Amino acid sequence: MPLKKSKYLRDLARQCRLDLLDMIYQSGGGHIGGSLSSLDLMIAVYFSDLFDLKKDHFILSAGHLAPALYTVLAKANFFSKDLLKTYSSFDSILQGHVCRDVPGVEYSSGSLGQGLSFASGLALGNPKNTTICLTSDGEHQEGQIWESIMFAKKYQLSNLINIVDCNDYQIDGSVKDIMPLNNLAAKYVQFGWTVTTIDGHNFNQIIKALKQAKKSTFPNCIIAKTILGKGVSFMKNNFKYHDVKNIPEDIYLKAKKELEKNNVKK
Amino acid sequence: MLKNKPTNSIRQSFGETLFQLAKTNKNIYVVSVDLKSSLFLTKFARKFPRRFIECGVAESNAAAVAAGLAKSGKTVFLCSFACFSPSLNWAVIRQSICYNNLNVKIVGSHAGLMSTDLGATHQMLEDISLMASLPNMEVFSPIDAIETKKITTVLSRSPKPAYLRLVRPSTPIIFDKKFGFTIGKSQILKKGQDITIIGHGPILNQAFEAQSLFLLQKPNISLEIINCSSIKPLDFDTILKSIKKTGRLICLEDHQKNGGLGQIVASKILSSKYHPQFIHLAVDNQFGRSAKTYLELYDYYGIGIKNLITAIKKIL
Repeated sequence: MPLKKSKYLRDLARQCRLDLLDMIYQSGGGHIGGSLSSLDLMIAVYFSDLFDLKKDHFILSAGHLAPALYTVLAKANFFSKDLLKTYSSFDSILQGHVCRDVPGVEYSSGSLGQGLSFASGLALGNPKNTTICLTSDGEHQEGQIWESIMFAKKYQLSNLINIVDCNDYQIDGSVKDIMPLNNLAAKYVQFGWTVTTIDGHNFNQIIKALKQAKKSTFPNCIIAKTILGKGVSFMKNNFKYHDVKNIPEDIYLKAKKELEKNNVKK
Repeated sequence: MLKNKPTNSIRQSFGETLFQLAKTNKNIYVVSVDLKSSLFLTKFARKFPRRFIECGVAESNAAAVAAGLAKSGKTVFLCSFACFSPSLNWAVIRQSICYNNLNVKIVGSHAGLMSTDLGATHQMLEDISLMASLPNMEVFSPIDAIETKKITTVLSRSPKPAYLRLVRPSTPIIFDKKFGFTIGKSQILKKGQDITIIGHGPILNQAFEAQSLFLLQKPNISLEIINCSSIKPLDFDTILKSIKKTGRLICLEDHQKNGGLGQIVASKILSSKYHPQFIHLAVDNQFGRSAKTYLELYDYYGIGIKNLITAIKKIL
């Protein structure tokens, strides 16, 4: 990928992280940790030009990452950025968990483990287009995920890409402590999928993996190693930031300063 | 149960109707969970292999796969036993099908005590309660093979999520072939003056039997029998009109009392000006059990013909 493109995506991601922080601060709360970890992956899906999202599909299985998707959709002009501050309030279309009433959203989710099955059905019904699903690592504790992994293999859904946001944390602690997944990549390989493991904050690696996945003749899994709370030092790997309510102003300003600084380093 | 009437299989009628519909409607898909022979879908699978999606014994995945297929524009029939779908995969139906408001018909066969020898795990008595409580979901429970055919045909043309409750054994034929089913309409199967009997599914046949047995003793008493196969949306107007006339209502169903048709109707009645005497004959907070005939079970759980006659005597 040309350097210019990579810089463009990083800059978009920086702006979206700031939007996301503002949104969660102004609206009184939201799932910030995983939204910050998965944001670069969504930016790549929406802004890399690899997909035509009028025909291709993006299914967010981990519906609590709604803040990330909403900021990306606003950035992609599906709706006005002003709407973001209404997040999760009574008269807003931006529900706490992702909802298809929002322009650009194709699937309402929130209960984990269902989206990969849904994406598989959609990929089967739309064989000429790509269906990209985003799941979380903790979500792989749901049994249904493994049902869908078998299903996608049986129907050889080569037009299906599952990006797993592996930030190693879930609501009550680390995935390793709560229910370890051990070697997730090896499990996908055993189930007959094509698997790539990448740094989920490195746009060169994300784009390369997505390009390869588009060419594959098997269902595709991209294991994206990410950082919970990416971009804010005190949120990093701190599961207390899985979901936050009423961020105090000083914390907000501190986080904002870091995200502003977090400029185009790479 | 109406031994002199010809019988036919409701689930066979469903499988064969869907096969016929799929010949002309290329949009019809079946999502199966290893129960194609039980739902008479073997012919469908053989003739339309690309539209027959076999998920194996994995009902949760199957429900969301069905939703995804519906999202791509297909009309999807998710076919299983009621004890697995909607029972085991209810949360997936709730989110992926209902909340997303997609064109999936959940077909739950072997519902109620009519699955006889299979025992408690398979005798699904809570499905109507589960499905009627879901926003966007419509609920249908046909009384015979002909009504099953009509409902299946109507559902294949509707874009909404729906639940179709089927039973296992062959049951008496009530309707003739010219019968036309409309969503949200119930049918008065027999006009009468003194007691309104409502219900859904083949158990309602017992009302005819009660009428003929009871008439021997009291020829001046007549029952009005209403088939509420469209449980949601419910045709409450027809019920209300009838109870205004009779002042007495018995609801008979092969389902739990809690969340069944009887409770749905009772709630509407209490909100109206008309308060008839009311008896709800349904399974009361118990699991089922195996038996050689479902009539043994109907007697044991208090929903058999004797119980109905007792209720009629009590309410008069």
